[in-house]
Amino acid sequence: MAGIRIEHVTKSYGGLTVLKDFSLDIADGEFVVLVGPSGCGKSTMLKILAGLEEASSGKVTIGERDVTDLAPGDRDIAMVFQNYALYPHLTVRKNMGFGLKMRGTEAGEIDRRVTAAAKILGIDHLLDRRPRALSGGQRQRVALGRAIVREPLAFLMDEPLSNLDAKLRVHTRAEISALHKRLGVTTIYVTHDQTEAMTMADRIVIMKDGEIQQIAHPDTMFREPANLFVAGFIGSPGMNFLQSPVTSAGNGAKACLFGQEVPLLVANASTLAGRDAVFGLRPEHISAGPGPVSFEVQPRLVESLGSEQYVYVDLPPENRVGQAPHAAAEEDGRGTALIARLINPDGRPLAERLTLSFDPARLHVFDAVTQEAIR
Amino acid sequence: MKRNRLDSVLLYATAILTCALLVFPIYWLVVTALSEPDQLRQLPPKFWPDRPRWGVFAQILAERPILQWLGNSALAAIGAVTLSMTVSVLAGYSLSRFKLRGGQSLGLFILTAKMLPATLLVIPLFGIFRQLELIGSLWSIILAHATLIIPFTTWMLKGYFDTIPRELEQAAMVDGCSPLGAMVRVILPVSAPGLAATALYGFVLSWSDYAYARTFLTNAQTNWTANLGITTMKGEYVSNWSDISAASILVALPILLIYLFLERYLVGGLTAGSDK
Repeated sequence: MAGIRIEHVTKSYGGLTVLKDFSLDIADGEFVVLVGPSGCGKSTMLKILAGLEEASSGKVTIGERDVTDLAPGDRDIAMVFQNYALYPHLTVRKNMGFGLKMRGTEAGEIDRRVTAAAKILGIDHLLDRRPRALSGGQRQRVALGRAIVREPLAFLMDEPLSNLDAKLRVHTRAEISALHKRLGVTTIYVTHDQTEAMTMADRIVIMKDGEIQQIAHPDTMFREPANLFVAGFIGSPGMNFLQSPVTSAGNGAKACLFGQEVPLLVANASTLAGRDAVFGLRPEHISAGPGPVSFEVQPRLVESLGSEQYVYVDLPPENRVGQAPHAAAEEDGRGTALIARLINPDGRPLAERLTLSFDPARLHVFDAVTQEAIR
Repeated sequence: MKRNRLDSVLLYATAILTCALLVFPIYWLVVTALSEPDQLRQLPPKFWPDRPRWGVFAQILAERPILQWLGNSALAAIGAVTLSMTVSVLAGYSLSRFKLRGGQSLGLFILTAKMLPATLLVIPLFGIFRQLELIGSLWSIILAHATLIIPFTTWMLKGYFDTIPRELEQAAMVDGCSPLGAMVRVILPVSAPGLAATALYGFVLSWSDYAYARTFLTNAQTNWTANLGITTMKGEYVSNWSDISAASILVALPILLIYLFLERYLVGGLTAGSDK
């Protein structure tokens, strides 16, 4: 096991830079998730770590060793691929033992380690089958097994759950987390699914257009997003965004939301006085019934999930955000609509018009120009 | 329902007719071989001889060095296929996997060699082989066949390698293989059907050649290939078509057996990638 240090790594293809000055320190045994939308550079970074892509500049250290110019096989890492990349002509046993064989490990030792890893993953009865005779979940386990028999310094996982169905994905997600706790091997995991990132990571690295947006513990990232992009990416449903000019009077900064003056409780809100700001409000921080800031609405759509309901409400025109901060936010109408996530254990139908409320302390404030969070 | 039945009848009728058209020349070759020479031109024709000459094959083998010619054909075909596969596996893999400056144009340029008629290459090749003192040697047709086989097999293999996910060799490299090791240990075994189909194509092309053998091997009867040898059985005034047919069957037999043996690979190899 070992820590990993990535220093100022960039990657360009001709004039196109897909990774910009990426630096990250990963502690020994840490589980770090690189997350971001398609094309953000997360898989490229993982391939550079694996040695499958060459960095245009920068340095990668695994343990105490500079591996920047080393071949993939000399880095002592193991990788799990999105499509598993099992060798179709070899049995599960040979697939798992392939890496050890390449390193000249004695046959008896290979067999012992393969059997032990197969037992951990519950695939010891499949060892003599070929990959084509396995289900998707079983193939996924074999891919994990191939990684763990090597006892490498680090695991690299490139969207390993994306080919599984929803139910199996949740199950395998928990298994990978448990496996990481048991083995304690440094793991770098790439995904575009923020739920995977939130549930598995010790730290999340969120990326956009080849740049790191924020590195933080999942809870910190949820509670204190560094900018509009992170705020919109993390959370399901995503954060609501409202726009309003900030006014500053003697008793602090205020914004006008839903036609009401709302006090801004973040310390530096008054720095935005006289300018537009974007306000973030998580769907779960909106309640049914009166509260510190209440407003009456006519729901456009109500989705019931049994124990909770998603209420979609049109934003007042003056609070609509000109440009949604994230592609997904555009797709689900954030910026023009507000989603409230109401816990409704009885599943009672909601009234046609209803009163919603929120606590101004829950508001996230972002500079409308720089999109950075104001605290 | 009626429409379906009519469709089936038409489909079967077409299939049977096509098969009959394809199989009839082979059947007639056998009939000719087994018939007495004087029965061949009689009208109405006999579709099976009264007394089949089963001994004709043994007689041909005793009279002519057919086995030696077959051996030469096999040597030439194996040599040409070995050479072609070595070159085209490496070339096809490179074209499939590496982004080379001008790689696309280079690939298409390779294919232009296949577009030229084989006879067009005979004259320049003859000049080259004469300088290399290869005229009369089996090496001349091994090299000549390879020039015909390589362009097509390179593209055939490139297409096959394109269907194999890159992650397979990346996984092998992470597991400790060099790029060449990953190709040899993982990509080539996975490509076995494609390799078999490609090799068979090359083998058939070499085995069925006449023009090159006729040009380069004329002065050394011991190096004649089977196709070349058979043509010498045709006399200036009289030709024994029964004997020629019998010899032709002996020459066609090995390739037929190879086809039957490799048929499942061949179909798999030629259709690979069609589902992607």
